[in-house]
Amino acid sequence: MKRLPPEPQITAANKESAASDVKAAAGVGEQPVVSTPRAAARKIKPEQKAGIRQAISHVILICLLALVLVPYIMVVSASFRRGNYAPSGLLPDKVSLEHWKYVLGVPYEEIANPATGETHVVKAETPPLLWFWNSIKVSSIASVGIILLSGTAAYAFARLKFKFKSVTLSTLLILQMFPMVLALVAIYSILDFLGQYVRWLGLNTQPGLILVYLGGISGYIWMIKGYFETIPESMEESARIDGASQFQTFIRILLPMSLPIFAVVFILSFIAFMSEYPVASIVLQDRSNWTLAVGANSFLAEHEKLWGRFSALAVLSGLPITVMFLLCQKFIVGGLTSGGAKE
Amino acid sequence: MNTGFPIRHILTGLLALAGLYLAFVLYRTGNVLIAFAVLVVTCLGVFIYLNASATTFRYLFPGFIGFGLFVLLPLVYTIYIGFTRYSSQNLLLFDRCVALFRNETYTLPNAVSYKYRLYAQDDGTYILYVEDEKNPARRFASDPFELIVSPKPKPPPEPVKLNALSASDQVQGKPMTIVQINRARLLSPLRGRAFVMPDDTLVAMAGLTNFTARERLWAQNPDGSLTNKKDGTVIRPDYKQGFFVNDKGERVGVGFRTFSGFENYSRIFTDPRIAAPFVRIFLWTVAFSAASAFLTFAVGMLLAVILEQKDLRFRKVYRTLFILPYAVPGVLSILILKGLFNQEFGAINEVLRAVFGFAPAWETNPWGARAMILLVNLWLGYPYMMLICTGMLQSIPSGIYEASAIDGSNARIDFFELTLPLVLPPMIPILISTFAFNFNNFNLIYLLTAGGPQMVGGAAGETDLLVTYTYNIAFRDSGTNYGLAGAIATLLFILVGILAWVNLKLTARQVKI
Repeated sequence: MKRLPPEPQITAANKESAASDVKAAAGVGEQPVVSTPRAAARKIKPEQKAGIRQAISHVILICLLALVLVPYIMVVSASFRRGNYAPSGLLPDKVSLEHWKYVLGVPYEEIANPATGETHVVKAETPPLLWFWNSIKVSSIASVGIILLSGTAAYAFARLKFKFKSVTLSTLLILQMFPMVLALVAIYSILDFLGQYVRWLGLNTQPGLILVYLGGISGYIWMIKGYFETIPESMEESARIDGASQFQTFIRILLPMSLPIFAVVFILSFIAFMSEYPVASIVLQDRSNWTLAVGANSFLAEHEKLWGRFSALAVLSGLPITVMFLLCQKFIVGGLTSGGAKE
Repeated sequence: MNTGFPIRHILTGLLALAGLYLAFVLYRTGNVLIAFAVLVVTCLGVFIYLNASATTFRYLFPGFIGFGLFVLLPLVYTIYIGFTRYSSQNLLLFDRCVALFRNETYTLPNAVSYKYRLYAQDDGTYILYVEDEKNPARRFASDPFELIVSPKPKPPPEPVKLNALSASDQVQGKPMTIVQINRARLLSPLRGRAFVMPDDTLVAMAGLTNFTARERLWAQNPDGSLTNKKDGTVIRPDYKQGFFVNDKGERVGVGFRTFSGFENYSRIFTDPRIAAPFVRIFLWTVAFSAASAFLTFAVGMLLAVILEQKDLRFRKVYRTLFILPYAVPGVLSILILKGLFNQEFGAINEVLRAVFGFAPAWETNPWGARAMILLVNLWLGYPYMMLICTGMLQSIPSGIYEASAIDGSNARIDFFELTLPLVLPPMIPILISTFAFNFNNFNLIYLLTAGGPQMVGGAAGETDLLVTYTYNIAFRDSGTNYGLAGAIATLLFILVGILAWVNLKLTARQVKI
């Protein structure tokens, strides 16, 4: 059985408390064990019992799995169904590629008047694929920025000594609890002000949005710091004795050993930014600037719900991210248990 | 071994230059305080990166800047707004409000009339050219300006400056005919703009073909009051109301932002239109967060335990598939489920109708909507709990189960008397952070129900969380109130901040054991 990647803090604490409980359990076990009739009965047909247990497990798992998978299957089918209907049914009845063409920005013919069979050509003014591309750009640049900012800060918190270290870290974590949505008035004003001097960093620009995202580093500092602390300091110390500078030990020794946690931080922040809606919807105003979240939601406006187009966009953009996540699953699970929830 | 040495100096120098330039520009445009702040930060940066005694802060400085600018500053600003009267009625800063009065004009009889021409520029801006009808030597051209038909009513833009032209000067850009101007829908924005002459008099569009000189309506008096030059009335700023008032105490013009102390806070608790929904929303927020944390934990734990059976087949496949809701971007999942829960056409009600003959009102019934939200959040949230629980289960040594098996235990007793007591203590911080996360789970509510259905009286939605309620107060089109939103946001922050603090203490204790 594969073990999870090395994990700091919580798991470590777990092991210790678990160990003390083992002693307690062992203490109980030292009492004279009388073989009861019930215990004897258990030993009669262990294979059969395991078989029943497995069957029950499979039934529960498959039922739950159906609930999890059916919505996704329905979305895939809705993306191939003619017309803009809410997802329902596992297979599309009237197969059509119109939504995919729309999302990819390819022109297609649509029947404008069913009576006469008249058609007109539909082409997206801004291809929704562009929103996905915008999201990838914003999210990956912001994630790299997050890694740079939180990685360096985490190094200071994990390895260096300075006054008020733990108080500072706690303050960072507590202040980060203030939801960004509620600071939108302030964020809006700041970007508006910034835009008057540096136009490409102002409102309605993607660099401006990236800049706003760079504030959310506390949780990631906490995560990376936890990982740094599991790496023994002895290697860095011997490098220092050999004459390396502090910065060199950080770059050449600690960083290469910490690549897994940076991968985790990148993926988690990337996914968080891909899903971020409120700030992006206020900062970005032009359709051509929108991110995936803003664009996808625009298909589902109150008066006109374009489920088909939404579904095609959802499948197109959701799939690569999902696959990336699943491929890196092993790393992510390790990173998650070191504390900090998905936000 | 100091290869990076000069690079550091060059980088520091470049950034310092950028900082100094920014400070200079800010200072020149009149933002003295902000210019000073930029200067201080720049100096601090130079000190930290060049002075050997500050090496520790070299690692912290960039992160702190980002955090300070986009977490701390918005936080402080929001708290500050909470103490001010700042809403759609009291929108402008005092100076802007006065400037608006100053921009109000009226036409004197026999005012100078100008011919005009609009020149379109390549970058989408425009230049206005005006020429005195009686004296063609008086020609003026404006700075490039934007003409946007904004869908939302905004405070009128600043007047555009007109510069005198000599006889030989040419205006850049493509001239537009009146028909072209009309077709591009630029007439009404152009009519709404004022232009200011080099001698500080104003001109504005009078008819389709000409501009006329305009006289300022309000004269500024030394005591801060304004006098109407047409009828002689005097208005004074009332800093309590945030409005200019005339002698009868009636409000004149638009309001300005003003400091209001604890007014917003007392409104939260005393104004029945706010206090009543506030309490209900608070209770629902707490219930929702607690139920979400508990349900996701229960289901996540159940799955983790089932999948932890060593002899179960396809464990890896199951585990991967069960992670799916966590791997798919949350926004997409929420919107997909919104479609499935659609009351009339959604797949869920179709199935329920066919099998059980009833269709819950997920959208119009408050309890239906609440149930839907919990179900959707369970669906989104259990994989995280499953992953965490799996990690914890795997860290429990298998020896204790062998010991208890000898003792005649069974799976149920094992779970409730061995596993749970071992897993629960380290789970508590995670449960608390899940609680806190859901407490502010804006995306879920905003995208799924947008707070609906409406409460009786329409003050808020039945499924609004405090965070969406506050967002609506600040941003909903009808009657935005930033001040009140800031006050509620501050209260919300205090609540969640306390939770986070307790959580940190708990975690710290566990790490130390």
